[in-house]
Amino acid sequence: MSSFQSLKEIDKPFPTLPHRWTRSIEAGLSWHPALSRSKTVRTHSDFMTAQLSFIGFVRKNLWRRRLRTLLTLCGIGMAIGAFVGLVGFSNAFEQSWLRLYTSSGTDIAIIQQTFLNTSLPESATAKVTALPTVAQATPMIYNVMDLTPEVNALVYGWKADSYEFESLQLLSGRPFHDGQPEVMLGELLSGSLHKKTGDTLEIQGSPFKVVAIYHGGSALETGAVIMPLDQLQQLSSLQGKVSTIHVRLRPAPAGEAPDEYLKRAQAQIEAALPGLRAVPAAERAGNNQFVRLAHASAWGTSSIALLIGILGIANTMAMSVFERTREIGILRALGWKRGQIMILIQLEACVLGVGGGFLGIAVGWGALQLLAAMPQTAGIVSATFPLPLVAEAFGISILAGLIAGAIPAWRGAQLSPVEALRHD
Amino acid sequence: MTSPALEVRNLFKSYDEGQIEALRGVDLSIAAGEYVAITGPSGSGKSTLLHMLGGLDSPTTGEVRFRNVSLGSAIDLDTYRSRNVGFIFQAFHLMPTLRAIENVQVPMLGLKPCSFDRAARARELLKEMGLENRMEQYPNQLSAGERQRVAIARALANNPDILLADEPTGNLDSVNSGKIMEILIGIQQKRGMTLIVVTHEDEIAHAAARQVRIRDGKVEA
Repeated sequence: MSSFQSLKEIDKPFPTLPHRWTRSIEAGLSWHPALSRSKTVRTHSDFMTAQLSFIGFVRKNLWRRRLRTLLTLCGIGMAIGAFVGLVGFSNAFEQSWLRLYTSSGTDIAIIQQTFLNTSLPESATAKVTALPTVAQATPMIYNVMDLTPEVNALVYGWKADSYEFESLQLLSGRPFHDGQPEVMLGELLSGSLHKKTGDTLEIQGSPFKVVAIYHGGSALETGAVIMPLDQLQQLSSLQGKVSTIHVRLRPAPAGEAPDEYLKRAQAQIEAALPGLRAVPAAERAGNNQFVRLAHASAWGTSSIALLIGILGIANTMAMSVFERTREIGILRALGWKRGQIMILIQLEACVLGVGGGFLGIAVGWGALQLLAAMPQTAGIVSATFPLPLVAEAFGISILAGLIAGAIPAWRGAQLSPVEALRHD
Repeated sequence: MTSPALEVRNLFKSYDEGQIEALRGVDLSIAAGEYVAITGPSGSGKSTLLHMLGGLDSPTTGEVRFRNVSLGSAIDLDTYRSRNVGFIFQAFHLMPTLRAIENVQVPMLGLKPCSFDRAARARELLKEMGLENRMEQYPNQLSAGERQRVAIARALANNPDILLADEPTGNLDSVNSGKIMEILIGIQQKRGMTLIVVTHEDEIAHAAARQVRIRDGKVEA
């Protein structure tokens, strides 16, 4: 007997759990004639557990090498967890941007046609306001700044008369005045900075008075600082410039479809401001530079993690096929077709993928909860866990299993029965 | 005249690009329900011939016919093995992770869709083998004789026409060897199966209706 075969003798399988439970229950109840299971029932329960299904065969094959199966599950689980965490984060980030627009009733955002740095003249606001389809237009700057070594936050520069204030709920204090070194803090951020109304906050060496604490319509506001536009223009050296102009349209005329009216308004604005783009709010939420960077980073990083996870499953399946060469020969001798062998191995790989998917979704959910609780990221990500992301993660985990199992399954099916039977 | 169950015509089988000739022009005809023992010295080609008869491998040249139909061309080998042939090996070759009753069900996966039917058939076959109280045991919990009886039950799972046994008593003591051969011959007579046994043992060979002696890849006259 080879040393390999002696190791296989040591790896004794466990009886299946339901069958053991059945026997324990019977032993426990057997003292009372009324409660003990009849011979008929006992035979039936044993009979049920004696049935072998294809899936049952797959399960037993994976259970045979428990440690290897567990390690493979952890590998693919971490990869799916990274996907769920990173893509969930970037999706939540995009949703927060969308809520930013919908909570204030913004229909269009006017931007420059660049990827990262959008700055346009503040004077364009007057031209936009004069257009017949435009009800209100408000210029703004947004940027990300380090407020303390531990806390960085979004900083908005608004005009004191901006319609954006309508989406905020003041919890204490008053709105700021243009031209004054004053700031309003979102409630999440005020908690992180331990600042309240009347305190002073230093931003890039300049002191600002906290005049209000507010609750915002979006996590991107609740974790942010809002200051007078002229103050932020000074801090950012963007005098006379703004990042974007937000536009509220007048109601669509009767008989004109909302989509058509929106397109007409876009065309009007772009004709009035050559070189600038008028982007619908929903499109802007998904397409602004922050969100695009977040999506690209999330998909890029999680793709690498998924590739590593797939390689882990592929390695496990390749080892499994090699170790079971003789068993595959036996199955072929018993009449199993090549297709059945392939399905068996592919199913094992998919079970590993799906099992890792469950684990990964749990890990990813945990990561999102943690990010939503941390002061550095609470203003950007929320704790919601959308079902489409879960479905996406499951789909990817099944696909990972199928991809990883493809070559080992094909190789297993190609084995000659006679040569496989001779294998040690 | 009824066609033979199995017929071999001018069968050649070589390996390593013709360097090793395992079978060199074998002609053989086996009637339905016949018990044939294939004997010969080690390396004579007995097991190779059995593999050809069982559709485990394809000949280099020549033909194997089952009920007058050529294997590999008119019948797919996988289908032939699953529906018409039962194999019994010297080393038993049971799945270590499956219990006895589950091992017997393995050939039926894919042929019998209902798991209840599969389990019922397996139970019936193991009872026939006298293993009614050993159905839940794993192979490493069974004696060598019990394992071979499970292997016989497995070989009968799909009600084959032909039973092929490659040294079925090779790993058994004399008592168990006798029991196993009793079972095989009993099955062959009761079910009218064609039984082909490769063996070194004279006692088993003499019990067969016909002996086919192979030497150096050829059937001795």
